[in-house]
Amino acid sequence: MMMGKSESADQMPSANIERCRPLAFFQRYGREIGLPVIVVALIVLFTANSEVFFSVANFRNIGVSAAALAAVSFGQTFAILTAGLDLSVGSIVALVSIVGAIVMRDHGIPAGLIASLVTGAGVGLLNGIVITRFKVFPFIATLAMMSIVSGLALSLSGGVAVTGVPGAFADLAYELVLGVPVPVIIALLVLLTAFVVLKYTRLGRRIYAVGGNAEAARLSGIRIGAIKTVAYVFSGICAAVGSIILTARVASGQPSLGTTLPLESVAAVVLGGISLFGGRGSVVGVAFGVLFVSILSNGLNLLNVPSYTQMMVIGGALILAVALDQAFIGSRMGKKG
Amino acid sequence: MSAASRPAATSTPAPGRDQPPFVVLDNLQKDYPGVRALRGVSMDLRRGEVHALIGENGAGKSTLIRILSGDVRPDGGTLSVGGEPVVFAGPLDARKHGIVTIFQELMIVPELSVAENIFLGNEPESFGLFYSRRRAERLAADVLGTLVQGTGIRPSQRAGSLSTAQKQLIEIARALVLRAPVIVMDEPTAALSENEAVVLRRLIVRLRSEGTSILYVSHRLDEVMEIADRVTVLRGGERIATSDIGAIKHTSELISLMIGRPIAELFPPRNEDLGEVVFSASNLTRHGVFENISFDVRAGEVVGFAGLVGAGRTEVMRAIFGADALDSGEIRKNGQTLAIGNPRDAIASGIAYLPEDRKDQGLVLSMSGAENIVMASLERSGVAGFVSWKAVGRTARSVADKLHFRGQLDALAGTASGGNQQKLVIGKWVLTEADILIFDEPTRGIDVGAKAEVYRLIHRLASDGAAVILVSSELPELINVCHRIYAMSGGRIFDEIPLQEFDEQRILAGAFAAHMAAKPVDSFAGVA
Repeated sequence: MMMGKSESADQMPSANIERCRPLAFFQRYGREIGLPVIVVALIVLFTANSEVFFSVANFRNIGVSAAALAAVSFGQTFAILTAGLDLSVGSIVALVSIVGAIVMRDHGIPAGLIASLVTGAGVGLLNGIVITRFKVFPFIATLAMMSIVSGLALSLSGGVAVTGVPGAFADLAYELVLGVPVPVIIALLVLLTAFVVLKYTRLGRRIYAVGGNAEAARLSGIRIGAIKTVAYVFSGICAAVGSIILTARVASGQPSLGTTLPLESVAAVVLGGISLFGGRGSVVGVAFGVLFVSILSNGLNLLNVPSYTQMMVIGGALILAVALDQAFIGSRMGKKG
Repeated sequence: MSAASRPAATSTPAPGRDQPPFVVLDNLQKDYPGVRALRGVSMDLRRGEVHALIGENGAGKSTLIRILSGDVRPDGGTLSVGGEPVVFAGPLDARKHGIVTIFQELMIVPELSVAENIFLGNEPESFGLFYSRRRAERLAADVLGTLVQGTGIRPSQRAGSLSTAQKQLIEIARALVLRAPVIVMDEPTAALSENEAVVLRRLIVRLRSEGTSILYVSHRLDEVMEIADRVTVLRGGERIATSDIGAIKHTSELISLMIGRPIAELFPPRNEDLGEVVFSASNLTRHGVFENISFDVRAGEVVGFAGLVGAGRTEVMRAIFGADALDSGEIRKNGQTLAIGNPRDAIASGIAYLPEDRKDQGLVLSMSGAENIVMASLERSGVAGFVSWKAVGRTARSVADKLHFRGQLDALAGTASGGNQQKLVIGKWVLTEADILIFDEPTRGIDVGAKAEVYRLIHRLASDGAAVILVSSELPELINVCHRIYAMSGGRIFDEIPLQEFDEQRILAGAFAAHMAAKPVDSFAGVA
């Protein structure tokens, strides 16, 4: 009798497992493949609804407008991977735009580019010091820095645009190399750098370790303060690169550039699968997050959806992404313990 | 210690044997996707008995407890209480049927008072409407008083301020308030010091004599031998044996049943080849935490630190490792004074610290096992700041093989079993080639098979000439693994006990020294 019972029970669970397999597969890989699938779906959707969407000219458009967001988001990835956040990226873009334009106007393009990168790195360093030395939460530290840096950009510029940027610099934004716009090439170089640093350097692996478990990292001899600071410096430099692209596009230094970037970059990073708790996710996913945000706003533009409505859509998508992420974490952790 | 509590078990032989069992589990089955947690387990619980349930991790104990607590429903088989078959709708239903479960993760609301916690969901009312705080606190004081004298717990106290042992008393008080005839306890002593465990075991013996049935899940076999009337062994979701405890001669029999093969020795022999003193600490002080801590360790020696939770042992070790600051004192290795300001300095000096909490301090759970192993020596896997994943894999593999790590190195550390996680932490420090190794509670929460391997690893490290410091709350572990034991209490070292003088009473006396004069601890802690 015992035998009979356990035999019938033997077949039950295997049927059970078969039924669960697609779900298990989705739970395991859904996070990685979900976003690319959605991006492709968006492309199909917009192609079906607009004649101009699926064209080389429009893809160049999307590329140029995505490039700045991409650079900023790859930097944001570093901050969020350490379980932090950089809300000052938008005002860094504004300050760098002003500083870069002034230096470029007075001392030439190379000096202007160097000044831009140094400015971005400097603000990032300040963020890092405030967060690690003075133990101010990243949210508050970078929110305050956003106000400080924004005020600095406005007072430097007197609240008006800085004109007189060399024409050769402005042309950069629309130049093509092998048919690819220069801003896109710059964004791809930033992506490559971020990918290599995060995956193939000690610094990158330590960023994951610090974000995953700061105490365990510290007890393993990792200088968590230094690692976090470097992450914010990287975020600042990436914001500067984004600012260079945007400044070239508008051919002037603008104190109001980048106001939407804090939200958009956090949206791209989180949609791209980086955990807000730190230590999880890949910068390649972030690239898809950027594509999602950029294609969505380009397509909605083509469909004549007002930009105010677009803001609502992006905000909604961000909440949806985080909610889905929480559901995944719940279903994964629920099994353990 | 055992002399005091043992008679209770033998003077009432076979409690409840003449009555039908109160709780009967018949052929219980439970499947999770991909895992058969229970394959038809039958057992019963008599009135007024302590029935121990043991087995390795994954044997099915947790599932069985979750069924009894109403948390999950069995896929097959029946559960009956008091002769009636029951299907619990949920945890509350299980309580209504008289089964109260005390989980390892204590269900205490830290912001509520002790009294509010005891009466949670069962609040005493006045005029049938209002919660009466005074009445609740008076009743709570009564219940706590019947449990243990001199607990020092005030009913109006915030529950979050209590120690783990005190929180456990709150849970037991809750069961008493409900007049639950059955209490299920999951590893109640895992987070307790030896002395707190003694108190708890006495309380269990008393509850039994008052007719309560207790299902007692524990990894600590000496404890099972001491207080259980019967023991049931699970392995791989099946019941392997149920036996009267009197029929078990030695814990090694239980271990063999649990792991399915005889184990030669849980504890390997001690390393006999001791060298010079290689590590010494003198007058280490951190104000308000520990004072004047001086000790030394020889090459090849395992030195134990006994004490209660809160005696300051972990704090001393963290300070030596540079994780916390020292106010004064000197640390020497091979005669040279070390200046340690942070863990990096300590690692550079060849010191390793394996923290008591693997998940919070030892591992980055969101990274792979391999990356955790190389975490403290990443410089060796690559050149010029770059990481070679091939080198990481190769290095981790060779360390893992040495430690008999049975798991996926490329899987996230968070998915590994407790024993394998501990091996990842040990592997990390073996790789740094540290020769002063501090183990803080290395076997907490891991099963017997994995424990034996940890002891063998400690033995091997010592035989290779390392100096090992072992902080442990398990007396058998200290007594069987160490060459020398320091007993700490209230932030000071009270006794240094050489191998030939090892004795449970003496260790306990040292561990309690600071409390003896100050408080009437003996009523709470049961040192006699």
